[in-house]
Amino acid sequence: MKSAITRVGLAGVAMVSAGALLAGCAGGPTEEPADGTATIQVAIDAGLEPEARANFDARVAAFEDANPDITVEAQEYTWTAPTFTTDLAGGTLPDVFTIPFTDGRGLIANGQLADISELVAELPYADQFNPNVAQAGQAEDGAQWAIPIAAYGQGLHYNRTLFEAAGLDPDSPPTTWDEIRDAAKQISNATGEAGYATMTSGNTGGWILTTLVNAFGGRTESGDATAPTLDSDPAVAEVLEYLHALRWEDESMGANFLYDWGTINQDFASGRIGMYVSGGGNYGNLVTQNALNPDDYGLTVLPLQGADPGLLGGGTLAAVSPKASEVEQAAAVKWIDFYYLAKLTDETAVVETAELAASLDQPVGAPELPIFDQAQFEQYQSWIAPFVNVPVDQMAPYTDAIFDQPLIAEPRVATQDVYALLDTVVQAVLTDRNADIQKLLTDAQAQAEALYTKAG
Amino acid sequence: MSAVDEKVVARRRGAPAKDADRGILSTADWRRRRVRATTRVTHLILLASLIVVGLGPVLWLAKSAVTPTQDTLRQPLALWPNGMDWENLVTAWTRVEIDKYFFNTVIIALGVWFVQVLVATTAGYVLSVLRPRYGRIIVALVLATLFVPSIVLLVPLYLTIVDPPLLQHSLINTFWAVWLPAGASAFTVLLVMRFFDSLPREVFEAARIDGAGPYRLFWSVVLPMSKPIVGVVSVFAVIGAWKDFLWPMLVLKDPNLQPLSVRLPQLQQFIELDVFLAALAIATVIPIALFLVFQRMFLSGAGLGGAVKG
Amino acid sequence: MTQISPTTAAPQSAEMIETLEYAVDPLRRRRGLRGWLRGDGPHMLVFLIPLLFSFILFSWRPIVDAAIMAFQRTNLIDPAEWVGLDNFVTVLQDPLLGTAVVNTLWFAVLALLMGYPIPLVVAVLMSEVRRWRGVFSALAYLPVVVPPVVAALLWKFFYDASSSGVFNTIIGAVGIPPQPWLQDQATAMPSIVLFATWSAAGGTIIIYLAALVGVAPELYDAAEVDGAGVWRKVWHVTVPQLRGVLLVMFILQIIGTAQVFLEPFLLTGGGPANSTMTILMLIYKYAFQNSLGGDYGAATALSIMLAIVLAIFSAIYFRLTKGWSSS
Repeated sequence: MKSAITRVGLAGVAMVSAGALLAGCAGGPTEEPADGTATIQVAIDAGLEPEARANFDARVAAFEDANPDITVEAQEYTWTAPTFTTDLAGGTLPDVFTIPFTDGRGLIANGQLADISELVAELPYADQFNPNVAQAGQAEDGAQWAIPIAAYGQGLHYNRTLFEAAGLDPDSPPTTWDEIRDAAKQISNATGEAGYATMTSGNTGGWILTTLVNAFGGRTESGDATAPTLDSDPAVAEVLEYLHALRWEDESMGANFLYDWGTINQDFASGRIGMYVSGGGNYGNLVTQNALNPDDYGLTVLPLQGADPGLLGGGTLAAVSPKASEVEQAAAVKWIDFYYLAKLTDETAVVETAELAASLDQPVGAPELPIFDQAQFEQYQSWIAPFVNVPVDQMAPYTDAIFDQPLIAEPRVATQDVYALLDTVVQAVLTDRNADIQKLLTDAQAQAEALYTKAG
Repeated sequence: MSAVDEKVVARRRGAPAKDADRGILSTADWRRRRVRATTRVTHLILLASLIVVGLGPVLWLAKSAVTPTQDTLRQPLALWPNGMDWENLVTAWTRVEIDKYFFNTVIIALGVWFVQVLVATTAGYVLSVLRPRYGRIIVALVLATLFVPSIVLLVPLYLTIVDPPLLQHSLINTFWAVWLPAGASAFTVLLVMRFFDSLPREVFEAARIDGAGPYRLFWSVVLPMSKPIVGVVSVFAVIGAWKDFLWPMLVLKDPNLQPLSVRLPQLQQFIELDVFLAALAIATVIPIALFLVFQRMFLSGAGLGGAVKG
Repeated sequence: MTQISPTTAAPQSAEMIETLEYAVDPLRRRRGLRGWLRGDGPHMLVFLIPLLFSFILFSWRPIVDAAIMAFQRTNLIDPAEWVGLDNFVTVLQDPLLGTAVVNTLWFAVLALLMGYPIPLVVAVLMSEVRRWRGVFSALAYLPVVVPPVVAALLWKFFYDASSSGVFNTIIGAVGIPPQPWLQDQATAMPSIVLFATWSAAGGTIIIYLAALVGVAPELYDAAEVDGAGVWRKVWHVTVPQLRGVLLVMFILQIIGTAQVFLEPFLLTGGGPANSTMTILMLIYKYAFQNSLGGDYGAATALSIMLAIVLAIFSAIYFRLTKGWSSS
């Protein structure tokens, strides 16, 4: 029989543990080293090839040599919208990470990025950014909270082999939306594959719809970004009628409609889609990850028509976590400058990166838009010229015409959420022959207005 | 015909050996040719249906794992019109690293199993055998959690993992983040409790009379008697851990730690169809192999070991 | 296994008897702190530690937190602010809520139609199989063993709506035109339910089978004496005996289908045009698909509403079926 003291002890232990659990002490604040050194976590892509990783590590070493008071730790991280907030709250966000243009302004408005605008203003090329591109990372007052590191414009990808099979000339792709419609019909009649396909889920439906609205000469948002124009701008209904016609009258859109960015690339790469709209730089993904036969690939610009058309642009921003301290922010901006922007502006870095990519059979020279100005861009192209391994001729219809197309930024308010609404609209049009387009747009407009109001 | 001969004939016809062994159909029923024939035919149809429906998709996956993409897309039911493509499996294994993710899945399942068995047996023991006065309150509180949809817990649970009390250190990207919350499974606790309720009290009394303290009682008496229910709990725990998808996706950010369920949908974005199907096939081989080997345990656990009676 | 024989050693002292009574008598009276300490009190707490640790940290506290969050608005960075019933109002005013509720009910009904009787019929048929039952059971249970994510991705491919999709090829062989499966608002949900049934029926079949095997043969003997044929026996003996299991499976199925998430999430993402968006997908959307910081308040508010509805439903159900179970 145990002694009474042991019993009391046991009871006490049990009580105290339970009590402590219930109390739930909060964690302490992160310590900052007093000596001014900073350690920053920077994001790198997951699944890098060993040589690419080695190259990255070499860059880190070079940076640390040049900046002895900064230590860089790599963290495999891919930003995704849904888990971002929990990452941020949970502290698993690296100090430096990349986000797409689409989310930049929203995150800035929400205070979910660090305000590094003053540090950015001190960079030598701070005022040389292409304004269309830079605005994706700017706050309301024009302060640059996130740095653009890559940009692209939308384009029409087409399958040259399917074109040939349908009796179309792959070297002269369609230049108007009516021609696209005809080509789609010819392809689907001749080959049984989808002549034209579009993304519809995971917010990509709204993204591509906005792209087409812009190409048709309209906008989904008022000029001052205070209200959506889904049911007031005629181009929106026009695009939906166009898609409806392709789907139900011509039946040239195949039988699968729940595409998102990854799955439409997959189906295109396996030869089931004649044409689709997506970011201009997709070639890399199509070839390395979806095993597209390079001979099949063609790229051309979106036809522009209507009153005030433009090309929707996209890209990538480098941003800093709002939880980074001042010292860490300074270090982070230095890293962004060194690693991301040097790849565009410093000849040695550019050549080295291109050489490495080419040696790993990754595409070099896929179409991009200039972050800075045209002159700098052309210089960049000349530096990578020896390593270009993409079929530039097949992309000529795009690269020749892209700089003449006016670039439009994505809508500024509640972008992703409005895209999500439009997903439903596009899906309804494509899956319901009797979809009432006006009603769908009125409903979407009402919901979008609520989002705009909520965003203030 | 003698009684023995009758039984032999009956058995050969598929009937039960003794009348006490019977189901809906008695031995008399089995003797009638119409009943026998109808039953046979029905069973054959059932078997064929089960093969097509249950085994079919799995076999198709196995076939497609070694078929090139174009063949799978153009002629999905054909058997290798253009030959097999074993490269798919190799690519899946090397580039996609299925072995690593499978290993992670196993580790997670083992940890979850241990935690659940520990919590359920100790809790079941206290609440059912030792029965403190406040036991009923605890049981009610545990039961109440069954009615809360698990998605309610998602965000607060995540924040608890991120900032655990007592530990000044996040548990994100550690397997503990998946193991520890698994213990809070009301279903398992109640299952074990009910089982212990059904054990004869006399054995416990006798043990107590013999001088066994509560620990001895647990270790030497209750635990050995609880093998059936531990088997059931184990099956549920392992299967549950294997299937878990949303929670590991949230807490295991590092791809090196992710289990198959989290990684496979993400991989679909990155690889071509034939390699993807090969990856799916590899991911399925091991659970199926385990099932075939441990069939009896799976099926008795799945039948709840008779714990759910009429 | 250590067997402590019940016939050894009579009680040896008054203290022993007291401890014994204390341990096994659930109705013992208060003995005061001393008595509690001398008895098993502290040991019981020790055995409770794993349960308390798990449930307090990972179940009860999060539930309380969620209930609190339902009345707050937070973006996880700034401190939370109390907004009273605002979140509930937001949720109730969301047009998607009606869609989600209808879809979830539709899923539940379809799942009951497809997934409730079929396992029972199969199990009854299987219970008559003598020697090959293991094979039947294994085949029936196989789909349950396939990891759900694998199964969902596989079936998503099967459901390809072009004429060369797997299922379309199969039905094409018997002359049925290609079906849109997941690509049409009317057929998407039934397609998902078909998959969910395939995936889960095996477990239900095995449960029914285990219960069927437990039916006392004498009952069938008695029915036969009364002249019952095969169908009569099934209807009047088998089914009533299974009542308890049937009732439990019914309520479990309802509670399970009310929370369906993985299947629509992986197969259609809620589409086309929200025709497969369920309540849980809406909760997930509130919490995790809002790129500017999830609306955790709305998510937890909806979860709580769902929990309350399920609780009421279960209470009514148990009330109604109290007398029906044969246990």
